[in-house]
Amino acid sequence: MSAVAGDGTATARIGISIAPFAPLLACLGLLAAWQIGALLLGTDSIPTALDALRAVPDILGDRSGLANILDSIRRMAIGLASAVVVSIPLGLAMGRVPAVASFFNPILMVTYPVPKAALMPVIMLWLGVGDLSKTLVIFLAVTLPIIYHSFEGAKAVEEKMIWSGAAMGMSRLQIMARIVLPAALPEILAGCRTGLVLALITMVTSEMIARKSGAGNILFNALDMGQYDTVFAMIIIIGALGIIFDAAFDRLRRALVAWSDTRQDIPLSFS
Amino acid sequence: MRPLTMPRDSIANGPPAVPVRAAPPMIAIQGVSQTFKTAGRKDHLAISDINLDIADGAFVSILGPSGCGKSTLLYIVGGFVAPTAGIVKVKDKAITGPGPDRGPVFQEFALFPWKTVLGNVIYGLRQQGVPRAEAEERGHKLLAMVGLKGYEAFYPKELSGGMKQRVAIARTLAYNPSVLLMDEPFGALDAHTRTRLQNDLLDIWERDRKTVLFVTHAVDEAVYLSDKVIVMSRSPGRIKKVVDIDLPRPRRRAELLLDVHYQKYVVDIERLIEDAPEDAVHP
Ligand SMILES: Nc1ncnc2c1ncn2[C@@H]1O[C@H](COP(=O)(O)OP(=O)(O)OP(=O)(O)O)[C@@H](O)[C@H]1O
Ligand SMILES: [Mg+2]
Repeated sequence: MSAVAGDGTATARIGISIAPFAPLLACLGLLAAWQIGALLLGTDSIPTALDALRAVPDILGDRSGLANILDSIRRMAIGLASAVVVSIPLGLAMGRVPAVASFFNPILMVTYPVPKAALMPVIMLWLGVGDLSKTLVIFLAVTLPIIYHSFEGAKAVEEKMIWSGAAMGMSRLQIMARIVLPAALPEILAGCRTGLVLALITMVTSEMIARKSGAGNILFNALDMGQYDTVFAMIIIIGALGIIFDAAFDRLRRALVAWSDTRQDIPLSFS
Repeated sequence: MRPLTMPRDSIANGPPAVPVRAAPPMIAIQGVSQTFKTAGRKDHLAISDINLDIADGAFVSILGPSGCGKSTLLYIVGGFVAPTAGIVKVKDKAITGPGPDRGPVFQEFALFPWKTVLGNVIYGLRQQGVPRAEAEERGHKLLAMVGLKGYEAFYPKELSGGMKQRVAIARTLAYNPSVLLMDEPFGALDAHTRTRLQNDLLDIWERDRKTVLFVTHAVDEAVYLSDKVIVMSRSPGRIKKVVDIDLPRPRRRAELLLDVHYQKYVVDIERLIEDAPEDAVHP
């Protein structure tokens, strides 16, 4: 999701000056390509980038537009947060207790390839088209990568580190909380980042299936009515949300696991 | 010939003839064997029938060829690995797992990378409910003792190998175990750092006389530091010989290197390890 700044010695020198603006440049480049492409094609269903951009403030300025988007974000946040709370302890337990792993592994392997949004119609039968079904689908989509990464992270914790904790008099539970969890945190956060992206995707697709409110609701209703400006404006808004969430998450991650980071921008400062 | 196992009375207890009932050893290893089950291959007997008493306050080294089971034995005494046969007693009580009475120092350091140097050192104290201010004060003292004053706020990844090993030692000393279990703690270090850490360790040991079980590859290191050197043979690992090191303390390295008794110990033990027929004669 985040753009990669210049790397390699040849680009290192310019890397310094453009690095902070690289994501912006990438966005501008994308918009320019879109603008030119749309002008060349000249079809109705693909508005120019400028037209789409002009429609963005209309959506955000509109009371119901904004409310729809906030609805989506709220569901996404609840789904993601509850998935984090459930998946991390489960993944860590699987990584350290073989019995837990052999119980849950088959279950996860069976559910892994199922696209979670495809469960939407079934879930709707039980829980209706409201918040609950959509939040549940987001939750289901996000749990797997977080469980998996927590599992891998916990498995990889150096045994001697755990022994050191045991020698200090920690109980198994304390070792989990005070050694396995922090030691596996970089890996866990990698899972959470994947989870964040999946949450955003599932948020939109769930609203495609159960149209009641949300960003996806606006998008697909506009599509049905042929309001292509709005469709593409909505795509821009969702993309922007992705970039903002990801950047915010990356800041959080850096703060949490600064101890493990070999910072990417250090080599650049040598040139 | 010296006996294969140490007599119950330790150096600290004086001559063995005294008819007073001797205090129990700090560590008693009784009939300990370890078999590793391996998928497909035959079960592997790593160590076989180890019997060893270690007196309170003794510095005992374990020497032996690679793969003879030195680490395995240390892990068993630590309670990290359960032996397939035999028991280990600490102060006459059979152990059932790890405990803060036995502090390990691993060859791999095993520092907590998410904690600063100070955070690592006080982790065990905080775990035991010592208030932060008190724990930190003790941590600062220990870090000064191992020569790491000023590095309190560093993270493990910012330290050299020798510095990490010092932190690991300070972290274990912090919760004041009565037994130190050290697995080749200086194995990965350069000669200069190793010498310094050996001297530091001796100083610490002279000061509070913890019982030390010290695994090493280096014969000179074992002789320099120890009261007793346990020589193990390979496949399966057994105790081949227990050598008492009767060199006066406190030991000064420079003097010792010129001492013929020291040199003789080193040469004899090296010969024991090298040409390894089971009945090699020790003078
Ligand atoms: N977890 C294990 N599973 C199977 N075999 C093991 C295991 N740990 C150790 N062994 C075997 O036990 C024997 C003793 O291993 P150990 O690590 O105790 O030797 P060591 O004397 O410490 O060697 P070194 O000096 O190289 O560290 C070896 O043959 C090793 O292959
Ligand atoms: Mg070893």
